[in-house]
This record gives sequence, C-alpha cells and structure tokens, in this order.
Amino acid sequence: MEAPPVTMMPVTGGTINMMEYLLQGSVLDRSLESLIHRLRGLCDNMEPETFLDHEMVFLLKGQQASPFVLRARRSMDRGGVPWHLRYLGQPEMGDKNRHALVRNCVDIATSENLTDFLMEMGFRMDHEFVAKGHLFRKGIMKIMVYKIFRILVPGNTENTEPLSLSYLVELSVVAPAGQDMVSDDMRNFAEQLKPLVHLEKIDPKRLM
Amino acid sequence: MQREEKQLDASLDALLTQVGDLKNSLGSFIYKLENEYDRLTWPSVLDSFALLSGQLNTLNKVLKHEKTPLFRNQVIIPLVLSPDRDEDLMRQTEGRVPVFSHEVVPDHLRTKPDPEVEEQEKQLTTDAARIGADAAQKQIQSLNKMCSNLLEKISKEERESESGGLWPNKQTFNPADTNALVAAIAFGKGLSNWRPSGSSGPGQPGQPGAGTILAGASALQQVQMAGAPGQQQPLLSGVQMAQAGQPGKMPSGIKTNIKSASMHPYQR
Repeated sequence: MEAPPVTMMPVTGGTINMMEYLLQGSVLDRSLESLIHRLRGLCDNMEPETFLDHEMVFLLKGQQASPFVLRARRSMDRGGVPWHLRYLGQPEMGDKNRHALVRNCVDIATSENLTDFLMEMGFRMDHEFVAKGHLFRKGIMKIMVYKIFRILVPGNTENTEPLSLSYLVELSVVAPAGQDMVSDDMRNFAEQLKPLVHLEKIDPKRLM
Repeated sequence: MQREEKQLDASLDALLTQVGDLKNSLGSFIYKLENEYDRLTWPSVLDSFALLSGQLNTLNKVLKHEKTPLFRNQVIIPLVLSPDRDEDLMRQTEGRVPVFSHEVVPDHLRTKPDPEVEEQEKQLTTDAARIGADAAQKQIQSLNKMCSNLLEKISKEERESESGGLWPNKQTFNPADTNALVAAIAFGKGLSNWRPSGSSGPGQPGQPGAGTILAGASALQQVQMAGAPGQQQPLLSGVQMAQAGQPGKMPSGIKTNIKSASMHPYQR
C-alpha cells in the first residue's frame, strides 16, 4: 500500500522559528574607507564582497488594520541567482537587557516570477529601493555596509539617487529562537567598531 | 631610638626636597610676574598657582605620612650664637643666611605667628564660636551646595563645547542620518512611494501569528509545487547557491539548509 498523496497530508510540525537579531548604525561617506579597513581586519578572511540589490516591499491589506508585509530582493549584479523573499515580524519588546533588536524572520529563495505571483495574490508594492554596498561575515554574524538609493521612476533601476550622505551599517544574526547569548556576542563586536560607528538597537516604531 | 632617629632623618630629607621644589616654583612664578607681566596670560598664572597648590598638597601629605614623627615634639634650641660669618651655614642656605646671630635667630626659629596675625586669628575664632553650631553647619552645607552647583555648570559647559569642537573633524557618523536610513528600510520613509504618515499604510508589518506564517509559507510551497513540480530541483539548487554568499539579507549557509529542509514538505 503506497503512502497517501502528499497533497492530502496535513502540514504539521512547523519550521524552526528563526529570529533575526539586529543592530544598526550609520557611517558618513568620508569615513567609509576607515570602516571598511577595520571590518576587513575584524571579520573573517575572505575577498571583500560587494552587492547591488533591488528590494521591493509588498503590502497585503486585509481586514485587519495592519497590512502584511513581504520583502522581495533581487540581485542586480549577479546573474542566475534566485530572488529572496523575506518576512520580518514585529520586534520583540520587553527585555531591556537584550542588546539587539529581535524579530521573527522567515527567508525563502524564489524564482524570478515572484513579483507577478505576489501581485496575483493581492499584494501591492509599497516602496522600493536599491542597496549597494559591502558584505562581511564573522562566524554567524553578518555585517552589511550599504547605501540606499531612491528610485525616481518606479520600475526604473537605472535612474537612482542616494537617499543620504551616509552608509547604513547593519549587524545581523539569524538564529533559532531563544539564543540570547547571540546578542552579547553582537554587542561585543559592536564595541570594537566604536567610535567609528555606534551600532545600537533602533526601534523602527519610534521613527514613524 | 635608632629607628626614630632614622625616621626623623628620612622625613626631614623628604621635607627638604618638597620645600626646595616649592621654593623653586615660587621663585619662577615671581620672576614671571615681575619680568613678563605685560605678556602674561591668565591661563599661565593659573598654571603657576596650580603647580604651587599641588606642591603644597604633597608637602601636606609628607607631613601627614605615618612614618613622619611628630615634629611638634621636637624642639630646636640655638646653642651657639656668633656674629661671625659661618661658611658652612652659607653653603647650606645657598648664601641666604651668612651669620647665625641674634638678628637671624628670632626670625628663623620662630614658632608663634606675628602679633597682628595672632590678633586676627583670635578674632576669627571668637566670631566662629559666637555663631553657634547649628548656624555654622547650615552655612557649611550651603557653601558645599553652591560649590557643587558651580562645578556641575562648569563641567556641563566644558562637555558641550568639547563635543562642538570635535564635530567638524572627528564625527564619523550622523545620528540623524542613521534614523533616516533606518526609517527608509523599515517602512519606506523618504523613498519613492512615500505616503503621508497619517495613513495606516506605511509598512507596519502585520501581526499574523505563527500559524498564519506557516500557512502562508506552506501555501507558497503548495502553489509553487502544484504549478511546477519540475521547479523543485532548481529551487533547491537555488538555496544551495545562496550559501555561496548571495548578497542581501540571506542568512548564513547552515541556517539556510535547515530552512530548506523543513519548509519543503515534499522533499524526498
């Protein structure tokens, strides 16, 4: 007797609940070089990696007041690489001792027809931007230093202008839920980048 | 007895060096005041005063040191007074006291203050006694409070001016920029599709529970699976490729593997 077709089996047992731990800061353009040098010294030894990404943020407005947000990212300088779909939950509040912003995170690689698919599902694009910068790694920590470019004509990624005179610096770790020592490691690393950059947990709700 | 003598000698030596330093700095200060008074600046005068105060402090410390015997218990008695020049004395006092005679001794060996000074001191002590303990305590407290207020004001001023001075050359990041960039990433503030912040739109991520996420994710899988079963292979390989350092917000390779294993319920 063969097993029942997979489509009829209920999907029990969830995914491992992954959380993203995040610290953010910024650095002025003129101090970028020193920051890159310091990161090259501190981080894992690898060829400096640059990236040029185009990110689109989609909203699904349902009956609830707050819409569901998904972020779709594609690489503009590497061919043949899948698109990246990401869901980020609300930041977990409450623990003042935790040094990093913690939020639920789901990452999926997708094919190139992601935007069409999301539109068919009812999502609408809210905003988009281009991110260009450098990527460093240290163990499970990922450090990104990138500049955000505003897209002037929707859909046209050639015509962009930088949003500010600074680069955004993000230190992030994606780890299973409950591993709070990760935030201690992140804070220790952030200490080493002072006073060039002050990485801290910034609550996005405060900036609304 | 031996030990005490040794202690006395040692402390006297220390005292001598301290007093010598003090004398030198006083001398240089006086020289500065007399000869360079037209180009003297207030900070320079303050420096000299600070030096003197520091030296007086160390002198006090030396006197209070536990190894210093009580000089109060020692008495100096002149044994021989002579109006002749004393070469030894000259040498020891660097030429200041040539003769150990009747005029020199009362000045140098004096222990009581001048009569006028003694009068003033007596006056002050009677005044202090007259006020009474409580009022005196209150005055002390108010003085302390005023001093600490002043100190606070000064240090705050110093700190503010310091940061202002360092700003043009040492600032490597701009907190306002940080906030602007984080706001742009988080909900698109300042980007192309900018909406007025009053509306409920701007990227407030929804609060679906874990179940909904799962349903959403598995729904995605199901649609993709149903639509193109042949696509499963490239999808997986896409995930493997992601390990090689796909730019953007991809997590590290190990986590990606775990995810792909668990989020593909149809994996064989």
